[in-house]
Amino acid sequence: MVTTSPDIKLMAHLLRRAGFGSTKAQLDEYLSVGYEKVVDGLIDELDSSRIDDALVRRYFPDQSVTHDTSGAGSYWLYRLVSTDSPLREKIALFWHNVFATGYTKVTNGKPMSDQLRMFRSHGLGKLDELLLKLSKDPAMIIWLDNVDNHDGAINENYGRELLELFSMGVGNYSEDDIKECSRAFTGWSIANSDYIKELAIRNSIMPYGKLAWRYEYKEDDHDDGEKTFLGRKGNFNGEEIIKIICEEPATARFISRHLYHFFVADEPPVPSWPYKDPQDMEAIAILEKAYFDSGYDIGEMIRVLFKSDFFKSETCHYKKIKSPAELAGNVLRTTEEFGTPNIRISERNSQVTFMGQQLLNPPSVEGWHQGLEWIETGSLTERVNFASQHLGDLSKPGVRKIVENVISQAGDSMSGEECVDQCLSQLGAIQTSDYIHNTLIEFAEENGISGIDLAKDKDTAIQKISEVMSVVASVPEFQQS
Amino acid sequence: MTTTQTKNAFLKYSHTIGICVMDGRGFMFPVDTTIGKDGRMHTVSRAYVPATAQLRITMYDIDSEYYGIYGGYGEGLGEFRWPTGMAADAEGNVYVSDEQNNRINIFSHEGDPIQHWGELGTGEGQLMGPSGIAFDNEQNLVVADHLNNRIQKFTKDGTFIMSFGNTGEDHLRMPWGVCVGQDNSVYVADWANDRIAKYDASGSFVRGFGTSGSGDGEFKNPSGVAVDGEGYIYVTDWGNERLVILDEDGNFIETLRGQATISKWADEYFEGNYEEAEPRSRSNLEPDAGQFGGDPHEESAHIEKFFWGPTSVKIDDSGRIYVTESNRHRVQIFERTR
Repeated sequence: MVTTSPDIKLMAHLLRRAGFGSTKAQLDEYLSVGYEKVVDGLIDELDSSRIDDALVRRYFPDQSVTHDTSGAGSYWLYRLVSTDSPLREKIALFWHNVFATGYTKVTNGKPMSDQLRMFRSHGLGKLDELLLKLSKDPAMIIWLDNVDNHDGAINENYGRELLELFSMGVGNYSEDDIKECSRAFTGWSIANSDYIKELAIRNSIMPYGKLAWRYEYKEDDHDDGEKTFLGRKGNFNGEEIIKIICEEPATARFISRHLYHFFVADEPPVPSWPYKDPQDMEAIAILEKAYFDSGYDIGEMIRVLFKSDFFKSETCHYKKIKSPAELAGNVLRTTEEFGTPNIRISERNSQVTFMGQQLLNPPSVEGWHQGLEWIETGSLTERVNFASQHLGDLSKPGVRKIVENVISQAGDSMSGEECVDQCLSQLGAIQTSDYIHNTLIEFAEENGISGIDLAKDKDTAIQKISEVMSVVASVPEFQQS
Repeated sequence: MTTTQTKNAFLKYSHTIGICVMDGRGFMFPVDTTIGKDGRMHTVSRAYVPATAQLRITMYDIDSEYYGIYGGYGEGLGEFRWPTGMAADAEGNVYVSDEQNNRINIFSHEGDPIQHWGELGTGEGQLMGPSGIAFDNEQNLVVADHLNNRIQKFTKDGTFIMSFGNTGEDHLRMPWGVCVGQDNSVYVADWANDRIAKYDASGSFVRGFGTSGSGDGEFKNPSGVAVDGEGYIYVTDWGNERLVILDEDGNFIETLRGQATISKWADEYFEGNYEEAEPRSRSNLEPDAGQFGGDPHEESAHIEKFFWGPTSVKIDDSGRIYVTESNRHRVQIFERTR
């Protein structure tokens, strides 16, 4: 097996976690910049995405309006595979899972897409500002019933989840705190709330398609009385509640653990966190410190995370299982199938759903359970088929390019091992176990790659290499991050 | 953004036709309308992708009388995948461009499929994403071949006549809508160049109208263009979500942002759906546009009467103006005041 330098392994690891993987060409470009600068660039760059929204809207009016999950999900998938700011999309995926809001109840793709746009813009900023945006987000207001949270008749749904799932975690507040928190968010509603609720319940598109939603503060429905929250007293409104929440050590712990879970290594499902300590307390402590040192800045926490020894350590490489969206993002960026928007993006979005993740429609307010729960018999078959089908398809420009690169690295002929090593390298310096490596070589040899004269029979070689690529895409390490 | 409307308005709002429905009477992401024989209107719905049932052409008239639907998703006779432009010939047959199947479909006045022609390619007479279409005065079909960045002219049965617009300093970039003037000049909604391009009957570039922007006389990704008998130019300024009118010399006349009201079909829906009609009557569907950061797309998303996704503008023989809005599933109709 070719020895891959630690620098290459580390950069490939970063690009899998902070983005959607990389080809060898992209990896080489990043290596020339250097690890620390790449980290800073990923975090600090504005959304300089080359995605042309106008072109998407011209071709797909349904994605322009984003009536439903099909249009809105396809549009997001197109962004995942096209963006030049992969961490912006990654952080949107992160918050989409933490602040899980589902289409099943919202029944309108526009506010869902608006929420994602907010995650892109504010997801790497300060937590208090993000929670404020979230509390005013129309999709969230409908999803967790804050539209029914009135002065004198509170609905605790949003107040409860804000504390339990969005900031502190179970065990760090009382039932009274939930009630007082809910009182503070009375009047945080949406415009035309009666009409919007009726349309959402009926999933109505009448008369002229679904309406966009907007936040509205209803002062006369806000409970302005004194409240006691987490030991503090005052005539708190939602802003003060968020400020108090962000000052709490439990919030630092909860957010740190989420970031570790998403970017470093799978933790157990969130509901078990009150009963199970983090697997790496030292790492969590470093992130908690970064949280307070930076004034609750998520981007700064992630900067510390990516530059830390616990992230760089090879012990956490390939220790996460890619979510379906991450896997599709990786595969479709490699195949370069979507240089411009085209009709196939909806089909790819459906394939992501078949793999177990319907974008914009998490199964519950807890989001998707990650890690091994992504893998079950049906979804594993879909995942393997998806990766193998697309990465072995020579009609895709990115695949063709990679296969040509593999050939250009060889002389007049190529052994099975050379072919496998080149394919692994071209797909982003993938490291496999010896067993997998030997199995791949065995396949390449049986497939006849080593018997081909590359100068005379290039077409056959191209076909054989694409078949090796297809098999490489099915190995466990490609499914992992 | 500018929403200028002169004191003595050039156009006055007439009424709205349409409703968002997945099948039958109504539209689902309509992208173009043509007025055929006996004033029958045909509007093509692009629909979701892929959504076979919703993709259709709806027949109706100016009084909202409904005559049925035809067409559907696919590659067979009478089917399309990305229908975009429409035009009716002198006999009333309806022509529909298909950006995905790279061809032109032909239907009878009643919606019966007749034939289709066209093939993918970059050579003369081949197509790559045919968008807007219009007939010239000799009943030849002008086609915006948008991914080849050119205009092509064909006989009605698809025989290539000429192409232009893809060379020189003033070449087109992703053209969308087209129309033909009385002297057979061709006007093109030059989408990616933010202008209207005018060519003479021989295909020579005459001039461009407008520059990039959202002020008077400026455009952002125009989608459709129509010219009336007096030379007035009507433009669906799609990126600015508005209708702009210029005189024949390109002087700015008027901008309209849209004034839709409840259509006859929508009114009938509300008569049977009090649960929606009642809270709607208490809602404010015309919020202050200033709260949307100057983004016309967002303004139109929230203000229901505004154009949202105005993809085409057409004129009938009596001078009425029809604006098809993909994102609001309706057609707004205007008339000249002078």
